[in-house]
Amino acid sequence: MSIVLGTAQLGLIYGLLAIGIYISFRILNVPDLTAEGSFTFGLACASMLATTGHPWLGILLAVAAGAAAGLVTGFFQTKCQIHPVLAGILTMSGLYSINMFVMGERANVTLIGVDTIFTQISALLPGLDKNWVKLLISLLLTAAGILLAVGFFKTHLGLCIRAAGDNETMVRASSINVGHVKLVALAVSNAYIALCGGIIAQYQSFADINSGVGILVVGLASVIIGEVICGRRGVTAGILSAVAGSIVYRVIIALATTYTMLPAYMLKLISAVIVAVALSVPAVKSAFSLQKTKRGGV
Amino acid sequence: MLKIESAVKTFFKGTPQEHTALRGLSLHLKPGEFVTVVGSNGAGKSTLFNAICGSFYLDAGAVMLDGKDITYQPDFRRAKMIGRVFQDPMMGTAPHLTIEENLALAYSRKHKLPLAPAITAKETDFFREHLAAMGMGLEDRMKTKVGLLSGGQRQVVTLLMCTLSTPKLLLLDEHTAALDPQTSEKIMEITNRIVAENHLTTMMITHNLNAALRTGTRTIMMDSGQIILDIGEEERRGMTLDDLLRMYSQKAGGEFDNDRMLLNKDNP
Repeated sequence: MSIVLGTAQLGLIYGLLAIGIYISFRILNVPDLTAEGSFTFGLACASMLATTGHPWLGILLAVAAGAAAGLVTGFFQTKCQIHPVLAGILTMSGLYSINMFVMGERANVTLIGVDTIFTQISALLPGLDKNWVKLLISLLLTAAGILLAVGFFKTHLGLCIRAAGDNETMVRASSINVGHVKLVALAVSNAYIALCGGIIAQYQSFADINSGVGILVVGLASVIIGEVICGRRGVTAGILSAVAGSIVYRVIIALATTYTMLPAYMLKLISAVIVAVALSVPAVKSAFSLQKTKRGGV
Repeated sequence: MLKIESAVKTFFKGTPQEHTALRGLSLHLKPGEFVTVVGSNGAGKSTLFNAICGSFYLDAGAVMLDGKDITYQPDFRRAKMIGRVFQDPMMGTAPHLTIEENLALAYSRKHKLPLAPAITAKETDFFREHLAAMGMGLEDRMKTKVGLLSGGQRQVVTLLMCTLSTPKLLLLDEHTAALDPQTSEKIMEITNRIVAENHLTTMMITHNLNAALRTGTRTIMMDSGQIILDIGEEERRGMTLDDLLRMYSQKAGGEFDNDRMLLNKDNP
């Protein structure tokens, strides 16, 4: 039971990461490597403020920190004309030092015995089992994240972001500043990613400087699994399926670690393989249909 | 309305590929004028449009629109006043967005707050009405993704996007060239109607010399970055294709001879 609950909790919380990755990877159509740094940035901010007794403020600060990281990457991309992938790498790399600084020059911080949003709410609901409360909090936070994202992409600015990822020329011709639109999109994307990092830190009562390593692939795997399940449709469906994909991803991980001999350190390899296989499906499909055509099939 | 003063643009300056695309070109357009632009490939027609739209800045000269100097204004800001339809139907619309969303985005040229709803019910009605007027049945497919439309249908959507909030200048860059003859005619018909209804100042690049003479109020011919012929309304009336071709070969041929003479002078 606790495995099921734990998987659901993690799946929901990492759903916020999946939303963030979905925004940059699918909507804006840019692979944004800032994620690796902004996740840890959120985690560092939220854990440090929790140690000073302000867990909720820590979550808010994580969101702001992520948005700031996204703005920096956006600045590199739009104003400095740096290649989007390199822009993300630069921010991510720079953030390592900043995260170290935020965490008080320690590689990890423990929040055991410190108030977190989870312990605070558990204290308010004494009759309920702690694990169920954790699930409830994860559910509420992620639901709020989904609602906000869905609403945002129904606004004019949201439409601009979607169009910018689809046809930049057209957006320019419609008198919209594409640079500003990209900045906002990257800020929102990384705010979600850092929010996820912040909640994870308080959820596991532990923050490590290397938590962000490979997080982009985790997010991508969630987005892609979601698309395999639900198909590629509108933005609302996309956001929901990203979260669904995140839950399925956690189930796969839980199954892999519980029922196989695979050690935990193999998880990153599994994630990478999932993403690589899923992304190569279109190429494999077209290669197959070409072979068929060559042999004179229909 | 539009005033271009001795525009000069050289690409790849200081490299072996150096190429002067505009050589001191000047052009004045009166409000409501509909100019057709003809000329061979590489004459600088599209470069002229790019200069007007701000895809690059001029090396020398000035662009004025409606009395405002826009020479150094960035492209997206000029787009508030300029509508442009490209030759490639893919260029003007976002394929994964619906017809409605594409129109809403273009219509937002009229100021819209960032967090306002992307499309209001009132706008939907407004778009439906305008789509219906195109007579292509698109008003029933407002939720269809534009990527699923044919080239002709996409050009109609683009044309509508450019003119929903009336621009000061409409630029048509061979916007019917990628379409079949029938569709092309239909799009021209719609274009003429929209231009007439809104009294738009318009420039249209075309390779169809017949269409160039029949459409609009004035025809200019470009060659190696300059306007070599400027035929006003009076002169154009009754002009045939042969007349135009004769004028072209005289002018272009003459320039060519001059060039050769110059080169010979430099390298005896």
